[in-house]
Amino acid sequence: MNRSKIDFCSAADEVCARLDSLGGYVNPAKVAPLKGSAAHEVAVGPVHAGVIEPGHFRFQCMGEDVYNLQIFLGYQHRGVEEAIVAADGHLPRQIALAETCAGDTSAAAAIAFAALMEGAFPERFPAPGDEARRVRALMLELERVANHVGDLGALAGDVAFLQSAAFCGRIRGEYLNMTALVCGNRFGRGAIVPGGARVGLPDGICRELKARLARVKPELDRALKLMFHDHSVCERFDGTGKVPKEVAREIGLVGVARRASEEFNGDVMARALVRRVEINEAHGKMARILDGEAPEGNESPEITDGKGGFRTVVAAVPAWRGKLVHAAAFSPEGKMLRYRIVDPSARNWPGLAWALRGEQISNFPICNKSFNLSYCGTDR
Amino acid sequence: MLKALVARFKEGCGTGAFPPAAPKLPPDFKGRPEIAADTTEEDVKAMRAVCPVADALFFRDGKASLDMGRCIFCGRCAEVCGKVRFTGEYRLGVFRREDLIVKAGEKEYAPPVQTDGEALALEGSLHLREVSAGGCAACELDANVLGTPAWDMARFGIRFTASPRHADAVYLTGPVSANMQLALEKTYAAMPEPKFLIAAGACAVSGGLYKHGNLPRTPSLYIPGCPPHPATVLEALLRFCGAGRGK
Repeated sequence: MNRSKIDFCSAADEVCARLDSLGGYVNPAKVAPLKGSAAHEVAVGPVHAGVIEPGHFRFQCMGEDVYNLQIFLGYQHRGVEEAIVAADGHLPRQIALAETCAGDTSAAAAIAFAALMEGAFPERFPAPGDEARRVRALMLELERVANHVGDLGALAGDVAFLQSAAFCGRIRGEYLNMTALVCGNRFGRGAIVPGGARVGLPDGICRELKARLARVKPELDRALKLMFHDHSVCERFDGTGKVPKEVAREIGLVGVARRASEEFNGDVMARALVRRVEINEAHGKMARILDGEAPEGNESPEITDGKGGFRTVVAAVPAWRGKLVHAAAFSPEGKMLRYRIVDPSARNWPGLAWALRGEQISNFPICNKSFNLSYCGTDR
Repeated sequence: MLKALVARFKEGCGTGAFPPAAPKLPPDFKGRPEIAADTTEEDVKAMRAVCPVADALFFRDGKASLDMGRCIFCGRCAEVCGKVRFTGEYRLGVFRREDLIVKAGEKEYAPPVQTDGEALALEGSLHLREVSAGGCAACELDANVLGTPAWDMARFGIRFTASPRHADAVYLTGPVSANMQLALEKTYAAMPEPKFLIAAGACAVSGGLYKHGNLPRTPSLYIPGCPPHPATVLEALLRFCGAGRGK
């Protein structure tokens, strides 16, 4: 089928409209009226077959081809932002809420919240020192690698290449355990606070982490080489779920998905390769951090002063999926009025809808996993 | 093919020795807390001020208590006055909600033993239907981990199923958001009798940081934590169905 004849923006609009009215329902017949005896619709979810989050998908198909994928979210909405505002003045509660917006992005969320508060109240929260910046950067990179390794393993599993799936499953745990070595929690929770970090990086821990990274990296390389050099894997990844560069820009994709469309050709293979590239980059960064380098935080919050002393503060963190943005509005007295979290997933769901156009439903798992978007981060 | 075989040989067996050997936990692991017998009401007040969760710590009948069902194990209370200490005890799963409350002065702890015959009948074949209901997905991720070779819970006959028709228990994570209420009820209703509900994580047990929705029934197993460590989950599931004893 010729994709260019389909108005891809309807899918993007659809998801955006859905995000604005959580819980609503749009009649698919009005969005993509397919006619004829081969036209049919397949509905999936909210409870999926695997151990994953809830969301409702509707594949509108003509014969075997998927013409349109509608994505209905909102099942995970629990009011994280409202709760953060209600907890104003109770810092530990606010951090815990930010961390539980999306569990796999806990460290990035804590860094974003901390940077935002440091920007808003510089006299109360001094800029973090060298060691705190090292802890933050290390947590962020460990989180990135753990998630990328898990996704690559899951991609291998979805095309029934079970060896890399099994190896990566174990290796992902090694990275989570490294995070736990630093702070006691596999997701890095409770480690980062505005003004610094609750844990340090003593020499003993640095040495142990260096040894573990040096041991795990060749094992990971072996698992990935096996997968990327296998014909049956490449055959499934190459050309599947393609999002061209122009489309990625138009939709406004961020992070891994954007990079895959800009630097590679935007298919499942491209998103897998970007993950491998980012794993290698993260390893370089971690090695420098463990050698004592204290990276500058690049989440430097933007402060906009409004009328009458009201102001907004925006902090952005390069989280593993893409740019994670936290924003807050404060009254002249410093009271928090609004809090807003924009997970990179919120920008990338329409990309998944586009990627599936012209594919068959059987390619949904690898398309979905190549994006691996967060439901809870989007629903908040 | 040859390369794959070589890689497999080099990888070896990745499954940990737990169980029966003790699990490898991080040095700073926060397990079951202990509260000093002389903890005063003022101490509790000071600790509550830094606790992220409402009512995880409270003073009742002249005794300080900590509700593990609400606790997210951040360890902030332990830094206040040293009256609360998090031990390395990872066997946190219990069968009654009230057993999650730790009282001041309690030292001895033995995890409860399953006596429910219907649950014990599931030894060697416990099939779970996971329902994620408004959580942050950390509990789901650490449940998924149990399926990897590192933990390999399938060797005890425990696995997640795709259909509720094949399941013995709902493995519930998340505080049950309004939009997941119906899906949870329908999933539970679709399961054949006898059936159980397992609440995993602070959200599912008590709502945690969020508002707790309605559960289709009283859970038969509570696994506290935010998220619970995979060792905690696996040990709780094994004890729930009486599996893994002496193996």
